[in-house]
Amino acid sequence: MGIPTTYNTEQELVLALKQRDNQAFSTLYDNYAGALYSIIKQIVTDNAELASDVLQEVFINIYRKIDTYDQTKGRLFTWMLNIARNASIDMLRSKSYQNSQKNQELPDNVYKGTANQSTQLNVDNIGLKKVLEKLRPEHRVLVELAYFKGFTHEEIAEMMSIPLGTVKTRIRNALLQLREYLQ
Amino acid sequence: MNIQEYIESGIIETYVLGLASPSESAEFERLCAQYPELVAVRKKFEEGLEKHASTHAVQPPVGVKVKVLEAIGDTATSGTRESVSVNPPNIINMQNETKKGSSGMLRFVAAASVILLIGLAWFSYRFYNENAELQRSNTALKDKLNSTDSTLNKILDETRDAVKNPNTTVVNMVGTKVAPKSSANIYWDSTSSSVYLVVKNMPKLPSDKQYQLWALIDGKPKDLGVFDATDDKVILKMKNTQKAQAFAITIEKTGGSPSPTLDSMQSLGKTQQMQ
Repeated sequence: MGIPTTYNTEQELVLALKQRDNQAFSTLYDNYAGALYSIIKQIVTDNAELASDVLQEVFINIYRKIDTYDQTKGRLFTWMLNIARNASIDMLRSKSYQNSQKNQELPDNVYKGTANQSTQLNVDNIGLKKVLEKLRPEHRVLVELAYFKGFTHEEIAEMMSIPLGTVKTRIRNALLQLREYLQ
Repeated sequence: MNIQEYIESGIIETYVLGLASPSESAEFERLCAQYPELVAVRKKFEEGLEKHASTHAVQPPVGVKVKVLEAIGDTATSGTRESVSVNPPNIINMQNETKKGSSGMLRFVAAASVILLIGLAWFSYRFYNENAELQRSNTALKDKLNSTDSTLNKILDETRDAVKNPNTTVVNMVGTKVAPKSSANIYWDSTSSSVYLVVKNMPKLPSDKQYQLWALIDGKPKDLGVFDATDDKVILKMKNTQKAQAFAITIEKTGGSPSPTLDSMQSLGKTQQMQ
């Protein structure tokens, strides 16, 4: 069928994926599995086995849902990153992960209290979490809870005893700083 | 709307990282269609994010790719096989896309449904049989209970009548010299002639022997029927008699004798008729 094994543009790759081209899918895996696995491991910490289960599930979901990917809304990687983050947070809340973490402190206990106590943060020195280290502590905690723990803004406001509006503003400001660092 | 302010609000990053609320996302997408500068900043952030993630990639375990390709390979090949056998390939190209992804799942669901259906049928059949069997035995038990009940009620009614009836004479049978411990009560309704026997204490007999109750009328014995010592503490309805000056119990051969063997008389009770 004359399928190219390399894709000059993301658009070409997406087109091939939408035609259920297994070669394209294999390339996609080779190019992005490591980046996605890094994010998964930053969320599903301390359990490599469950993290690789999530990675497997994520790629199967990418294959199944590729038709719902809308290029006008964002890059393919952004779309996959969100699938990976959602799957990881689902895993965080699953029984199997909870059981494997039983002996460890609950995030509630770790993060409760004032932002000054954020030195307790268990930030792995990899990927996005490394960028977070450059943020102001009171911002870093909020991003950590929202992005890596999957708490809603409302939950965070309640947990930290700060107004919902403040949570939103701080997270947005923190993410704006993130943009500076990524440039 | 001041688009520059909006761009600097942090909404772009919030949206890209999947942290925006549904209403925020909807507004953002609407504005993206309107303001190319918004899209430009979004794309720049996305590229930075992707680049950062790629440089910090972590090598996943080797087995994962194989598992993923196996999982999707099954889906893909089964989808192609199905459509090729049914339709010419150039017609189904369009439908293929939507069918392929779900056909593995469909096949699984179909197989699961069939198994479920067979299982269900088997269970229904078993439950139906079990139920029918239970109903049969239930009906049989009910019938038996009804007949037992009515028999019991009849007995209770009769005995209650017999005991409460002012015409009923209670005759206390006392043991004779041969059998000093033997004792029984006779409830004798002189108006209906019914005779009930309550065995209180009668020694066990060999299997070829039975007790026989007699009414003594004008010195002549009248057979009122036989009973076993095993009928202990049970009310027995014996044969009727209109007259009796006394009742006597003898030991006779099984089935009874035409006339009492008086040597073996176990107990004797006199009625008021005698006085």
